[in-house]
Amino acid sequence: MKTSHPLNRREFLAAAGVAAASVPYLMPSGVLAAPGRIGANEKITMAHIGVGGMGGGHLRDMVRRRERGQVHIAAVCDIDEKRLANALKTAGPGVQPYHDYRYILQRKDIDAVVIATPDHWHAVQMAHAAECGKHVYVEKPACCTIEEGKAMVAAARKNKVSVQVGSQGRSQPEAYLAHRYLVNGNIGKIRRVDCFHYPSPEDNNPVPDSDPPRELDWDMWLGPLRWRPYNQRYCHGVFRWLLESGGGQIRDRGAHVMSCAMWWMGADGTGPVTVEATGTAPTKGLWDSAVLMDVTYTFENPDWVLTWRQMPNDQLPPAEERTGNEPGGKITRPGYGAIYRGDRGEFIHWGGDGGTWIEKKAREWQPPAGAKDVYRSPGHKEDWFNGIKTGAKTIMNIEAGAGVANLCVLGNLSYILGRKLRWNQAKQTIVGDPQAQRMMSRPQRHPYHL
Amino acid sequence: MSKNNRERASLATGAAGVIAATATAAQSDAVNALIAGIRDTSDKVRTQAWLDAGQVGAPAVIPLADVMRDDDLEVARAAKRALWKIVRHAGRPRANKEKRAVEAELVELLGNDQPVSVRREVIWMLSEIGARNAITPIARLIANKELREDARMALERIPTKRAVQALRYRFKKAPKDFKPNIAQSLRKRGVEVEGYPCQKLVPKKQTNLKPL
Repeated sequence: MKTSHPLNRREFLAAAGVAAASVPYLMPSGVLAAPGRIGANEKITMAHIGVGGMGGGHLRDMVRRRERGQVHIAAVCDIDEKRLANALKTAGPGVQPYHDYRYILQRKDIDAVVIATPDHWHAVQMAHAAECGKHVYVEKPACCTIEEGKAMVAAARKNKVSVQVGSQGRSQPEAYLAHRYLVNGNIGKIRRVDCFHYPSPEDNNPVPDSDPPRELDWDMWLGPLRWRPYNQRYCHGVFRWLLESGGGQIRDRGAHVMSCAMWWMGADGTGPVTVEATGTAPTKGLWDSAVLMDVTYTFENPDWVLTWRQMPNDQLPPAEERTGNEPGGKITRPGYGAIYRGDRGEFIHWGGDGGTWIEKKAREWQPPAGAKDVYRSPGHKEDWFNGIKTGAKTIMNIEAGAGVANLCVLGNLSYILGRKLRWNQAKQTIVGDPQAQRMMSRPQRHPYHL
Repeated sequence: MSKNNRERASLATGAAGVIAATATAAQSDAVNALIAGIRDTSDKVRTQAWLDAGQVGAPAVIPLADVMRDDDLEVARAAKRALWKIVRHAGRPRANKEKRAVEAELVELLGNDQPVSVRREVIWMLSEIGARNAITPIARLIANKELREDARMALERIPTKRAVQALRYRFKKAPKDFKPNIAQSLRKRGVEVEGYPCQKLVPKKQTNLKPL
């Protein structure tokens, strides 16, 4: 019988020296560390899947990290050739371009992938990457259906990979201050968190279906979604305004603002018992996500209420005046956030994503001796790297990410169905509504499936 | 039956007929009002019409499918959204009779007389509320190259053994190029399939771009 033993570092380097001329790929970092782990001082070998929009931002960020010696960048991937060509320029020499992300997953030298594709791809690509042993940073919202979230959690657990969901608000400097302020009871027992957001846009320029642009692979853009003719109003960034692919503001920004709420309330791993949504529909165009929206989630044991409200701009709470010298700087996105209502006061924050800004009283609160402290993220990507290298749970791990995405998904489901839903968190299922239960999953097109 | 009883029975039958006729007239009025709203030139009127469509129910299904073929994109879109609204309303808990009535009308729209765009939409509507009576008509569409993938996915979603049986049967009959698709659905439903391994991790498409 053929037997194998793990190579020690010296044996590996000797073998690698012989093989280097014929193997163009980088060394998998894990080979030099404990089995399955990347050494504390090793560079992580990265690939980027989806390199436009947010994906482009991640790539530029990773290039800076490469310059600091934190990572290698081995590959970039996009199904839009123009975006791919731009990404190659950003990434520089030695980075392999791919059209199909599955080539990246086959490469043994790649440790981790950053997935920043449209939302309807997140679950499939994250699960596939995990099945191929890759650590994953996946943009938010984690998933578009309840079933996708379950599959992501299962794939990460089974394959023991580190997953960070891109709700980076938890890692912001002022998020730490907010968390510490709230858990120390400064506004008393919190019974209600009211999230606010400006409306989802309406499509004021509807156009008929047409042929896709030459640079775009429409079939792969759709991926798991059912096929339909191309329309300019599906992509790129505007996919967010379609319930099927982006889910509107509640799934886009709800995955940020409600992420902060679940973290600060200590509610990760819990879920609502009822979800009830109403909203106003766009009056024309392809986009169908709610323009204005009211969603109420009730939680039990402990009892509290979370609301999500997309409201007219003139009803939004005014943003705090700032000098710019605060930990989070000036408030650049005042149109969303949340108000926490306790039995001894209220607390407000704005943003909740790459910018999380909290009001002055919480920012300036000095913890007395014996005050509780909370986890302080070193940065969202640093927290992920730490997870990759040590196995520590990331701040926005996939269980938490899927849990927050489920809130968004359930809110939209209630809006679509026009009725209140009951949710069983332990069983991860909607109760007493067979149609809604079917809508917890969405069959996926061959071969783009979980 | 005594003469009095016969008279009473006759009167009752007549009254039921009047009530049925009145109900039909009311339904017809509701359908006409809905269609008029959907065809309105005002965005707001059209939107309100489709938002209110749920209550109109099964009698509006086929008239709305006709309007889905309208040349005006926004009118066609409003009709489609009205139809979805009916499906979502009929699918609510404890409305089985309404659900089955809507299902029956939707099944009528799966025939060759309807355009692919309408049938594709209807297949997905049936994936949410379809039951016993929808399975065979959907399964037949697996023989249609333009609709087979949607039909396969709809059957995957319908949570009955009969839907799995239909998938098994169609798997046997399917051309070689479509068997992997049905195999995907069968696996999803817990059926072991040999000879058609899962394709999900197999890369297919190359780029022409080269590294810098």
